[in-house]
Formats: sequence, structure tokens, C-alpha cells
Amino acid sequence: MAEYASKDAMAALARAQELRSTVRDGTKWYAWYQVIFGGAAAVMVLSIGLISRPYGVAIGCGMWVAVISGLSVYAARQRVARLGFQRRHASLIIVGGLLYGGVLSAGLIWFPGVVAWWVPGALLVALPGLIGGYLETRQ
Amino acid sequence: MNTSQSGIHPRHGLDEVIHAPVRFSIVATLAAADKAEFGFVRDTVEVSDSVLSRQVATLEKAGYVAVTKGYVGKRPRTWLALTPDGRAVFAAHCQALRAIADTAADR
Repeated sequence: MAEYASKDAMAALARAQELRSTVRDGTKWYAWYQVIFGGAAAVMVLSIGLISRPYGVAIGCGMWVAVISGLSVYAARQRVARLGFQRRHASLIIVGGLLYGGVLSAGLIWFPGVVAWWVPGALLVALPGLIGGYLETRQ
Repeated sequence: MNTSQSGIHPRHGLDEVIHAPVRFSIVATLAAADKAEFGFVRDTVEVSDSVLSRQVATLEKAGYVAVTKGYVGKRPRTWLALTPDGRAVFAAHCQALRAIADTAADR
């Protein structure tokens, strides 16, 4: 009986592991979400920094609103959210927002139109999304 | 000294509500997620809507699962999530399962 119970226990643990893998596969969508989020943030920074006003701001902000709307619909349609999703998502928004604010403020004050500032700045702003997406696939 | 040597078999650590195979699968699925849609859990655990509803009602009554209803566009959706209690009980249940598996490995 004890032998039987131990086999049952091992089977249950194996089943739990299998289900965990299935759920993990179902949450991979968030990797794409973060990569697109990071890419869009970078494009917005480049547009605002390097295209003359008011076109740069209009193009950058218009694109950003469209991408975030699309991502919100995409996220709402997903069937499962990863463990710790809310904390991870809040970190993405806060870190991304701080970097965006820093790059944009300094750039508009001290480096208007300077490619050497805006291109690395755009990469920096994209980093939270890109790193998050990479970590998500490695989970 | 392990638990079996001290006279307390690790099976006493198993939770009766979670022990049933379908409920165990439901809880194991939810343990890996923040929340999951009813249909996702149904497909993952491979049960019918009615079986899942019944088992979720039992888990909800035990305080292990929280059920949230809402809409995505015009479509009604039901979300399932483990409560902190449910998460703790599942962790203890898995620990008991590991202990049982280990007692066999020690022989």
C-alpha cells in the first residue's frame, strides 16, 4: 500500500510539472508584448527627438497610442497570465516610464536634434521591454 | 530523522480537498498562473465544462479558488485564480507528496 501511495505521489508530482509547462507555454505571449512595448517606446523617442516639431511629436505619440491600444486588446484576449504578472508589468511600466522621462527631458533641454543622444537614448528606453521579453522566453 | 521514523506518515500532510485527481490538476494549473480563463483550465485539465464547474465550486467553497466574472468586449469571461490560502495549501500538499515519494526512494 505504501509502495502504491509513493507511486501515486510521484505520478501527481509529474502531472503538476506537466501542467506547469503547459501554463508556461500559454503565458509566452507576454514576451512579445514586452518586446513590442520596448520597440514602440524607442521609436517614439526617436520620432520626438529627431523629427522637427510638431510632426515628430504627432507621429511619435500617434504611433504610441495605436501600439498601446493594440497591445491592450491583445493582452485582454489572452487566456492566462503568468505567475507574478501584475508585479512584472508594473515594473515594466515604472522603469520604462522613468527612463523615457529622463531621456526625453534631458534630450529636449540639452540635446535637441542630436543623433548621438537620441539613438542611445531610444535604445535605453527599449531595454526594459527587450530584457523582459528575453527573460520571459528563458523562464 | 524523517517523518515516517517519528511515526507521522507524510500522507497526513495531504489536503483532502486537493487530493482528488481533477481538483489537484485544477489547482496545479492555477498555481503556475496569476489567473487563468475558465476555458483555458478546462482545456488544460481535459474535463468538460460541467465537471470543471462542479470542482471549482468545491474549491471555491473551501476558499482555495477565487472566481471572477467579466467581459472582454461583449464576450463574458470567467477567470479563476488561487487564493493565498489555496497557494499555501497546494505548496504543503506538494511537500507531502515529495515526502511520500522520498520514503519510497529511501527503501
